Amino acid sequence: MSEAYLTTHFGEKDSAKLDFYLSHRGYESARRAIGSMTPSEVVQLVKDSGLRGRGGAGFSTGLKWSFMPKPGQDDRPRYIACNADESEPGTFKDRAIMERDPHQLIEGLIIAGWAMQAKAAYIYIRGEYVHPARVLEAALREAYDGGYLGPRVMGTDFAFDVYLHRGAGAYICGEETGLMESLEGKKGQPRKKPPFPANYGLWGMPTTVNNVETFCHVVHVVDRGIDWFRGIGTEKSTGTTLFGVSGHVVRPGYFELPLGTTAREIIFEHAGGIANGRQLKGFIPGGSSTKPLPASAVDVRMDHDSLAAAGSALGTAGLIVMDDTTCMVRASKVIAHFYRDESCGQCTQCREGTAWLDKLIGRIEAGAGRMEDLDLLLDVANSIEGVTICALSDAAAWPVQGVLKHWRDEFARHVKEGKCPFPESFEV
Amino acid sequence: MPKFTIDGKEIVVEPGTTILQAAKAHGIRIPYFCWHPKLSIDGSCRMCQVEVEKMPKLQIACNTPVLEGMVVNTQTPKVEDARRAVMELLLINHPLDCPICDQAGECKLQNYCFDYGMRHSRYVEPKRLLSKRVDIGPRVLLDEERCILCRRCVRFCREVSKTGELTVHNRGDHSVIATFPGQKLDNRYSICTCDICPVGALTGKDFRFKVRVWFLKETPSVCTGCANGCNINVAVYKDRIYRYLPRRNDAVNDTWMCDDGRLSYGHVQAEDRIRAARMIEAPGQPAAEVPLDMAVDATAAALRQARDNDGASALAAVASARATNEDLFVFTKFVRGVLGVERSAMVVPAWEPDGFLIQAEKAPNAAGARAMGVGGEDEARAILDRCERGEVNALIVLGADLLLAGEREKVLTALRKVPTIVCLDTHESELSRIAHFVLPACTFAEKDGTMTNVKGRVQRIRPAIRALGDALPEWEILGRLAARMGQPLPSGEPREILKELAGEVPAFARVTPESVGTQGVTLTVVA
Ligand SMILES: Cc1cc2nc3c(=O)[nH]c(=O)nc-3n(C[C@H](O)[C@H](O)[C@H](O)COP(=O)(O)O)c2cc1C
Ligand code: SF4
Ligand code: SF4
Ligand code: SF4
Ligand code: FES
Repeated sequence: MSEAYLTTHFGEKDSAKLDFYLSHRGYESARRAIGSMTPSEVVQLVKDSGLRGRGGAGFSTGLKWSFMPKPGQDDRPRYIACNADESEPGTFKDRAIMERDPHQLIEGLIIAGWAMQAKAAYIYIRGEYVHPARVLEAALREAYDGGYLGPRVMGTDFAFDVYLHRGAGAYICGEETGLMESLEGKKGQPRKKPPFPANYGLWGMPTTVNNVETFCHVVHVVDRGIDWFRGIGTEKSTGTTLFGVSGHVVRPGYFELPLGTTAREIIFEHAGGIANGRQLKGFIPGGSSTKPLPASAVDVRMDHDSLAAAGSALGTAGLIVMDDTTCMVRASKVIAHFYRDESCGQCTQCREGTAWLDKLIGRIEAGAGRMEDLDLLLDVANSIEGVTICALSDAAAWPVQGVLKHWRDEFARHVKEGKCPFPESFEV
Repeated sequence: MPKFTIDGKEIVVEPGTTILQAAKAHGIRIPYFCWHPKLSIDGSCRMCQVEVEKMPKLQIACNTPVLEGMVVNTQTPKVEDARRAVMELLLINHPLDCPICDQAGECKLQNYCFDYGMRHSRYVEPKRLLSKRVDIGPRVLLDEERCILCRRCVRFCREVSKTGELTVHNRGDHSVIATFPGQKLDNRYSICTCDICPVGALTGKDFRFKVRVWFLKETPSVCTGCANGCNINVAVYKDRIYRYLPRRNDAVNDTWMCDDGRLSYGHVQAEDRIRAARMIEAPGQPAAEVPLDMAVDATAAALRQARDNDGASALAAVASARATNEDLFVFTKFVRGVLGVERSAMVVPAWEPDGFLIQAEKAPNAAGARAMGVGGEDEARAILDRCERGEVNALIVLGADLLLAGEREKVLTALRKVPTIVCLDTHESELSRIAHFVLPACTFAEKDGTMTNVKGRVQRIRPAIRALGDALPEWEILGRLAARMGQPLPSGEPREILKELAGEVPAFARVTPESVGTQGVTLTVVA
């Protein structure tokens, strides 16, 4: 983990405290940005660093920031929303950051606030994250008391507030516009686009949403520069990320590694390999919405381009590992059920399609499938992809498409045998 | 002004126009469920997807603004597939109970089914079972199974009635339309939700199961419930009115109407309609039904006698804000030219206005009457005072709103002192019961003519049903009276009357049958 920079101090005593943070170059990047860089210089720096969002879609962070209207051309207040909803199954990296190094996030928010000349940032944290919320709250108090937040950030004329808002348990509130609706006190339902958040976001004001981890990378880009940053990872996926590994491995957990590290290295070196002496059957590279890949793809490099070429995506870098006892139909059923449950229900295809997928897979798993259901399943998945307000519908379709591509015969076996051929490895 | 291409046609549009609006305006049919011209864009049904060149994904036409040079295709295989997919998904849980559904025949889902549906369903899972009869409000019922969750009803209550009773409960495929706890869908426009519901999920309790919509014949007209003059279609089957539906007029009522106005149709063919003429043949006797001609003759004789014996100062005339412009024009001519009475007056009934459609004046044509010089309630009271003092020997009254001029008993006492009361009305009232001559008049649904709404817009009504019994339009009764009194008025059909009216009353100068058209025309402001 030689190239790690986000997690350097994780696990050290008092790593969440301001004093500790200050003794490790804490708030130096923010001071530098506000003190010696113009907002547009910061935006340009982030753009040039190649940093891509860590919330799932991998959009260029600097480019997104540049969409925000500049003061003077648009005098409405500008806001930042920090997406800490972290609800994608298999994903638990933001939690680690908020618990262990909350000031790193706050510093990232200050820099973003300066770059976009925002009035405030709202951290929208997953409701179940009670402990991380407490740690963040304490850190925010320290930051205010220390003058890092408030009307005069670090003694400058820059005024910036950070608020913490706890969600109430809906995955869809992690979608950036669903998050805004929820923050505004409404039912969490994504908004149609246009208008886009940079023009019409929180309370109708220009808003930029980024993931927790994304903000943290910015601190280090400002501190150490773009050459250093671009030297880590691949050409188009720069920097490290926190790979979260779960499932049938010896050492589940998160590992900060350069983007482009192979799945093999992550699973077999960092996570200790497959548990109980079993064989790797397949893995989901980036959270439950990405397409599962078979064991034969384990040498794929975990970056945006390589995973796209392999027929999947980096997503949230939450790697779910499955051994040879795993029934892929049952695994699909668990995932399909999740998306059906979490669909907000606005769009026809997502509302009806996610439920149909869930019922279809459930019937196949229960041994009542028909051969034609395999094509039907793929057809339904295809018809709900790329046609809805937000990407939840896609997220429901992709795993089905992926699993049918690589494990179609396993679905067929369920149909032929009229039952699930696997032992009860886990409950559905 | 951006120029773009849609299905090979080059079209120029106003900036900000969406693809759907542009397509609609140029006769290109894009199917849609959730979009409605008078509601905010929802973008959720996804039925309106089209292909836009250079955009990898299909775009929803309802929420995509036209940009310069855009190339849009609405008929590609990709678009057809996407529409079929939406239809299939909307239908998997739909009960398909069209044979017993009131919406059948005017259901978007049913209509698009013929265009994009599949012959047989690939869905073999159990359908969602929900409640088929939710008593959601005093005038509206909800069938949750038929609902396609387009949220038009929700937006209507938030944006139009501004009462916000409706919402979507739960999420995903558990979503159902519901009211907030402790609330009912009970606002003054609640039945509009049934109009805009694209399927049979919301139905009006009044109209439910009464008649199949394809039997109904619609006649464009105007609601007479208040001075707003909401544009409507009167729906008739076998000479019976079954409902009013709002008809779009952006200057008057958009696509809406209030529940009171809508349900006022029952009044037209009610039991208490006056079907035949009546007269009191000898003092102290009860009024007896007589042939209309006989009543007209007798009325003319009585009026002539009163005028010739006692002079015009012993006569009085009361108009009605419910009569048409044509009726009122003939009335004022009759009053002035035949009776020799300079001015008539009227009483305009009132109710609670709401700052939206519902106007304080609860009659369709007070503005028209005023424009023709009919006096208001003060003058009507003055007439009653004269009656009270025994100074009026003959009174001619249109309608019965004069009863509202004061305390009911006082009004009646004053009226009982008049030896000759001529009443032209549609419905029985305390006035018709004491009148010496009762002449049966047509309601607005039985005649042609125009009404002037609160904003001075002259709008057309048309006969939707045959006149009840012997009823005639007021202009015609008055014409016959005048002829019998030896002073024929220039007469003719309402069209001719309107032309004369326009020639004589400056405010009506530009009002012609053509300029009135289907959307009305406003009066000229006369200094
Ligand atoms: C259904 C759905 C759920 C999402 N949940 C999260 C989440 O929990 N956390 C997150 O950071 N991004 C989530 N996203 C992605 C956000 O919409 C958004 O792209 C992201 O927060 C942007 O941050 P980034 O540019 O830093 O990646 C979700 C997206 C969808 C469609
Ligand atoms: S895609 Fe699904 S979750 Fe997203 S807005 Fe549409 S219905 Fe809601
Ligand atoms: S009840 Fe009708 S209008 Fe309301 S959401 Fe359902 S289908 Fe749409
Ligand atoms: S607002 Fe007036 S005119 Fe319109 S429907 Fe109601 S009663 Fe009729
Ligand atoms: S009409 Fe466009 S999404 Fe419903």
